[in-house]
Amino acid sequence: MPIDAITVEIVKGALRAAVQEMGLLIERTAMSAFIREKKDFFAGIYDPAGRLVYTDHDKFGAGMVDCVLAQYPAATMAPGDVYWFSDCYLSGGAISHSPDMCFVAPVFDGRTLLGFVAAFGHFWDIGGMKPGTLSPLATEIFHEGLAIPPIRIVAQGHFNDEAYRLILRNSRFPDLLRGDTRAMIAACHLGQRRLQELGQRLGAARLHAAFAAIFDQAERAVRAALAALPDGHYTFADYVDSDCLSDRPFRVQVTLTVQGDTASLDFRGCDDQAAGPINFLLHPDNARLLLARVLGWRDPAVLLNHGACRPIPTVELRPGSLVQPRYPAALGLRAHTLYRVLNSLLGCLAQATGGDTPAGSGDYVLYMLRALDPQSGAFTLLIDGVGVGQGARPFADGLDVIYSSRGQKNFPMEFVEHHFPVQVLTYAIHPDSGGPGKFRGGTGVIRDLRILAPRVILGTRMNGTKSPCWGVKGGKAGKIGCFVLNPGTPQERRLPPFGDNLELRQGDVLRVQTAGGGGWGNPAERDPLLVLQDVKDGFVSLQSAYQDYGVVIDPQTWKIDWARTQARRQAMAPPAALFDRGADFWRLEAARHGPAALSPEAGACRSGGPGPAGYRQ
Amino acid sequence: MAPCLIAVDVGGTFTDVALADLEGGQLWTTKTPTTPADQAQGFAAGIAKVLQLAGKAASEVVAVVHGSTLATNLILEGKGAPPVLLTTAGCRYVLHIGRHDVPKGANMYLWVKPPRLVRPEHIYEVRERLDPSGAVLQPLDEAACAALLKQLRDLQPPAIAICLLHAYANPVHEQRLRALCQQLCPEVPLSLSSEVLPQFREYERTLVTVLNAYLLPQMGRYYRRLAQQAARLHLRAPLRIMQSNGGMASAEAAAVRPVLTVLSGPAAAAVGATAVARHAGFRHCLSIDVGGTSADVCLAVDAQPTLTTEGALADLPLPFPMLDVHSIGAGGGSLARVTPGGGLQVGPESAGAEPGPACYGRGGREPTVTDAHLVLGRLGETLLGGELRLRRDLAHEAIARGVARPLDLSVEAAAQGILDLANHAMVGAMRALSVERGYDPRDFVLLACGGAGPLHAGRLAELLGIPTVLIPAHAGVLSTLGLLGSDCQRDYVRTVMQRHGRFDLAALEAAWQALEHEARAWLAAEGIPPAAQRLVRFADLRYANQGYELTVPVAAAPLRAETLAQMLEAFHHQHRRLYTYASPDMPVELVNVRLTASGPAWSFTPAPLPAGSGPPPAPAHTRPVYFPALGGWVSCPVYEAATLPPDFQCQGPAILAQPLSTVVVEPGHRVRVDPYGNLIMTIGS
Repeated sequence: MPIDAITVEIVKGALRAAVQEMGLLIERTAMSAFIREKKDFFAGIYDPAGRLVYTDHDKFGAGMVDCVLAQYPAATMAPGDVYWFSDCYLSGGAISHSPDMCFVAPVFDGRTLLGFVAAFGHFWDIGGMKPGTLSPLATEIFHEGLAIPPIRIVAQGHFNDEAYRLILRNSRFPDLLRGDTRAMIAACHLGQRRLQELGQRLGAARLHAAFAAIFDQAERAVRAALAALPDGHYTFADYVDSDCLSDRPFRVQVTLTVQGDTASLDFRGCDDQAAGPINFLLHPDNARLLLARVLGWRDPAVLLNHGACRPIPTVELRPGSLVQPRYPAALGLRAHTLYRVLNSLLGCLAQATGGDTPAGSGDYVLYMLRALDPQSGAFTLLIDGVGVGQGARPFADGLDVIYSSRGQKNFPMEFVEHHFPVQVLTYAIHPDSGGPGKFRGGTGVIRDLRILAPRVILGTRMNGTKSPCWGVKGGKAGKIGCFVLNPGTPQERRLPPFGDNLELRQGDVLRVQTAGGGGWGNPAERDPLLVLQDVKDGFVSLQSAYQDYGVVIDPQTWKIDWARTQARRQAMAPPAALFDRGADFWRLEAARHGPAALSPEAGACRSGGPGPAGYRQ
Repeated sequence: MAPCLIAVDVGGTFTDVALADLEGGQLWTTKTPTTPADQAQGFAAGIAKVLQLAGKAASEVVAVVHGSTLATNLILEGKGAPPVLLTTAGCRYVLHIGRHDVPKGANMYLWVKPPRLVRPEHIYEVRERLDPSGAVLQPLDEAACAALLKQLRDLQPPAIAICLLHAYANPVHEQRLRALCQQLCPEVPLSLSSEVLPQFREYERTLVTVLNAYLLPQMGRYYRRLAQQAARLHLRAPLRIMQSNGGMASAEAAAVRPVLTVLSGPAAAAVGATAVARHAGFRHCLSIDVGGTSADVCLAVDAQPTLTTEGALADLPLPFPMLDVHSIGAGGGSLARVTPGGGLQVGPESAGAEPGPACYGRGGREPTVTDAHLVLGRLGETLLGGELRLRRDLAHEAIARGVARPLDLSVEAAAQGILDLANHAMVGAMRALSVERGYDPRDFVLLACGGAGPLHAGRLAELLGIPTVLIPAHAGVLSTLGLLGSDCQRDYVRTVMQRHGRFDLAALEAAWQALEHEARAWLAAEGIPPAAQRLVRFADLRYANQGYELTVPVAAAPLRAETLAQMLEAFHHQHRRLYTYASPDMPVELVNVRLTASGPAWSFTPAPLPAGSGPPPAPAHTRPVYFPALGGWVSCPVYEAATLPPDFQCQGPAILAQPLSTVVVEPGHRVRVDPYGNLIMTIGS
C-alpha cells in the first residue's frame, strides 16, 4: 500500500509519544533504584512479525518479541494478554542479563494484530548469590537469579497470580519486585492503548505501510553513512580488565568491513568466553544496531530499528567466545564488554574517517555497600553509580563526569547520607584525568566516603584500570581510575576493581577515583587561555599545562608567559599516530602477542585473526 | 476618584500596558516600544501613555502590577552578575558535576554541558559539617571564614551565594556565615540556600541559590529604577511583580528573591488565558500561544493554572513551584526540511525574526509554517495590520524547492503536510499536558492566542476532540489581563523525611506551623489583612522505594489521623490519575511539607461590549483558500474581526482577520462573538 510522507511522520511522532509516555510511567512509578535512578529500562514498539519499529532508548531492543512468538504463536494470542520473560539464552541475547525483566503485549484492533509493545527494566533483586542479584563472583547463569522463560502473565486481562507468587518468593525484596511489575505492566497497557488508538485512526493496512516506510528511512540513512566511508577492513581491539575471578585481561576485537553501502562485522577474534560474569551474549541484530548508532553519531534522527540492520547482512560470531558464550556461562556484568565493543566500533570508524569521531570513553563505575544498620536493625544496601570522563569530540571537549548511560542521575551526597551510614567527604574533579588534546577529554571524578557503621561489606565494579581511554587525531589517552582504601595514610592500599566481600570498618575512607576520556587533536593547538582556565578551575595541573599543552603559566600572577609558551610549543613533537592508546595498552598487547604487537605507529593494533569455528548469522 | 490598576508587561519588542477601572469595569490598553537598554524608561512611557488615554490621574492608581522577561533574559543571555559561592569543604565541583547526567533525549556524542554560572575558580570551600538531621558534626571554622572574606572583600564580588550541605535541616552555619559577611563585606548582597530553597539535594539547591545571587544586583537596581520612574510620574501606588508561580509579590520581596520571577512573562500569559476563559464562562482551559519560534501550552483546571515543581530554563532545573508552561519549537517560523532518510521534519529549528520565513522577502530560502499558510490562502498578503507585506511567490518557490520536489508532492499537498506536522507537534505538547496527566482534553475549552495560534486552533481542536475553541478579543493584551487578575502568592517548602510509612504527626504539625508563621508575616507585609489570608498545606508523597513524589493537598490544621488518611487517599487517587494505577497496599513516604500562602489584592471584572445594531456585517472580501476537506481551493469569505458585534455568527469556511492574527474557521465549524468580543468556535462533529 503506498503511503505519503506526511502520514509516515505523523505515525513516527505518535510512536515517539507512546514510547516516551511508557518510559515516563516506568521511571516515575518503578521502585528499583536501577530503573528509577539509573534509567535502566526500555520501551519499544514492534510490527506484527516482532520486528523493532520504534524506540528512543539506547538499549537495543532487537529480537525481544521473537522468543515469545516461538513459545506462543501469534494465532494463539488474544487481546489483553501480557507475556513475561528474562531468559537470556532462550532469547538469543535479546535480553543480555537475567535481572532485565521483559514484558511483551500484543496489540489488536478487533482480531487484527497491529503489532507489539515491549518494556523491560532492571529489577533490584531476583534471587541469585548476593543481595542485588549480580555479583562479580558468579560463574554460572544459575548464580544470577531466576531465569523466566516466556510465560503468559496476563491472559485476556486475567492476571496469573500463581506464577506471580512463585516469582515473588524468589526475590529478597519482593515489595520492590511487586512495585516494578506493576509499573511495567501498566506501561505495556498504556502502550497497547496508544498503538490501538493509532491503528483505529489509520486502519491496520496504512499503519503497517507506515511501519515499512519507517524501516526504509532508517535503512537509507545507514546506507548513506556507509557509502560515505572508503571501502576496506578496519580492525580495533580493547580490553576488559579481568573476568573478576582471575587477573587476566580479556580482549575484544572487532573487524568492520565496508563495501559500497553495506557493511559486515566480524567478532570472531574476541577471546574465548570467561569463567566470570563479563560474557556478553550479543544478539546479531544488537551488533548491527550498535554499528548503526556509531555510524550515526552526528545524526540523532537516525532511528535504530529493524531497517537500520538491513545494510549489515553479515555478523560473524564464534560460539564459545566472549561475545557468544555457551550456556550456562554467567552474564551479569556484561556491560563492561558491551562498552568495549561500542568503543571498538568507534575505533573502526575513526580509522575509516581519519579520526572524525569522538575519542574513547570509559564505562560507568559502581560500588555496593551493604551494612546492618545498628539503629534500626535493618539491612541496608547502597548501589552507587559514579560518572567517568567521556571522549573529546572533533568540535568540543569531552563531557566531564558523566554516567555512561543516558539520562541517569547521580545520588546526591545528601541522599547518600540520608540512606546509608557514610559521610561523603569529597565529590570532586579528578585532576589531569582528561586526555590532553585540542579538545580535552572529559575528566573523571573522585568520591571519598567515610564509613560510619561498625562494619560494612564492599563490592566494586570498575573497568579500564589496566589501559586508558584512547585519544585520537593527536589527542592523548586519558588517565585510568582505581579504588583506594584510606588514601594518604600509612594504611593506604589499592582495592580490586572487580571485587566483593571486601570488609570495611568504621572510620575507613573509601576513595573511588574514575578514569578520564581520551583527547581529540593536537594539545599544542589548544587555545592557551582555555588551558589557563582549566588550571584555575583545577581540571589541569600547572605541570600538565606545561608538559602536555606547552602552556607556561606563572604560578604567582596566574598569567600566561606567551613567549615561553610559543617556544615550548615549537619544541613539542607533533603527534605521529592516529591513536594514542597509552603505554599500558601496548604492554597488554605485548603480553598477548609478543613484541611484534608493539606497533603504535600503525595506529590501531594487530588483528588476532578470525577463529576457526566462526559462523555467519 | 475611581480606584484604578495599571498593568505593565515588558516583552521583547513591545511594552503592553493596561489600565483597569476597578469600579466601572472599563479597560484601556496600549503599547509602547520596549527600551532594551533600560526597560524602566519604556515602563514609565507606557504608564504615562495609558493614564493620558484613560484620562486618569496618578493619584487614582492603587497599584502597578508588572511582569518582565528581564530575569529570563539575564539567564538566557548569560548577562547576570556571576557571584562567588561559599560551600562546604569537598563540594567545590557541585555545580560543574551537576547530576552527572546527559539530559534525556540528548545525544551523548553531541551534547555539550552548558556553561556553569560560577566557575570552580570562584567557588570557595569552608570547613563545617552537619549530618542529615541537622546536628553539627564539625563547627564552622570562623577564623578561616573571616580570613577568606577579607580576601574576597578586595575582589569586590557582585554578590555572595552560600550553600552548605544539609542546611535545609539546620540553617545555623549559613546564618553565622551571613553575619560574618555582613560584618566583613557589608556592601555585598547575599543569597542563602536555607532561605531561597530549603530543600534537600545539594545540586539543585546550590543552583537555585546561585541563580538568585546571579540576578540580585541587576534586579535590585531595576526595581529601584522603576520606583524612581514612578515617583517622577507622581505615582505613590505600590509596585507588585508577577512571579513564576502566577502570583504577585511586592517589589521589595521580589528584589531579594529574584529567582522566583524567572518565568514571569509566560506566567502572566497563562494567568491571563485562565482569566479570559473564566470571564467567558469556561473553568477548564487548555491554552496554546503560538508565536514565531515556539508554542507555549498551559492547562487550567477549575480556573487555576496548573503548577509544576520540575520546571527548567536552558537546561537549568528550577525545582520550586511555577506555572506548568510547556514550550515546544513549533511556530510560524519553524523550518520544514526533508531528512536524508526521506522524511519530512518541521521545527524545532526556526527562521527566527531574521531572515524570517521565505515570504518576508528578507533572504530566507527555507520554507516555514507561515509560508505554508500563505501558499494555501489561509494568511492574507499582509501582516501586522499592513506593516509587513508577504511575498506569495517566494513562499511558493521555497515550498516547491524544499519539500514538494524532493517528496514528489504538489505544492498544495506539501504545504498542507507542513501544517499537518506542525499541528501534530502542537497536539503532542497539548496531550502531554492533558492526557498524560490524566485529564481528558474533551472536558476543556481550547484557548488559542499569539500571532499564529488562531490559524491552527480549529484543526487542533478536531485532532484533540475538543468541542469548543475560545479566541480572546485582544490576544495582544493577554499578559496584562493576567497581571490584573492575579493574587499575591508565595510558596514555602521544607524537607521533613517521614519514611517507611510511619508519620510523626507532632513533627509534621510543627513544620507546617513554622511555615504558616513565616507566611502570615509575609502576607501582612504585603498588605493582606488576616481575614483575607489563605494558607493551604500540601505534602510531597511517594510510595516507599519510588524516586518521584506527587504533591497533594492536606486539610487545614491541626493535623489529625483522619486528615492523614484523606491525604493518603488523595495521593492514591492522583497516582491512579497520572499513572493509571495505585498501590494502596504499599507504604507511603513523605518527603517535603509545603504551604501556599495567598491573598487577593483587587478584583477586576471587565464590562461587556455594547450590543450591535443594524444589519449583520458582510464579509470585507473573499479569497481562494485551500481546504483538503472540501477537495481543494474554494472561495472563502474574509471578515474584519474588529467590526463584528456581539452575537454575530457565521459558518466555516471563513476567515476572520484580527489586527495581529488571523482566525481560520474550518469547514463545518461555527463561530460567534461573545459579549466581551471573544470569538467562540464550535467544532462540528
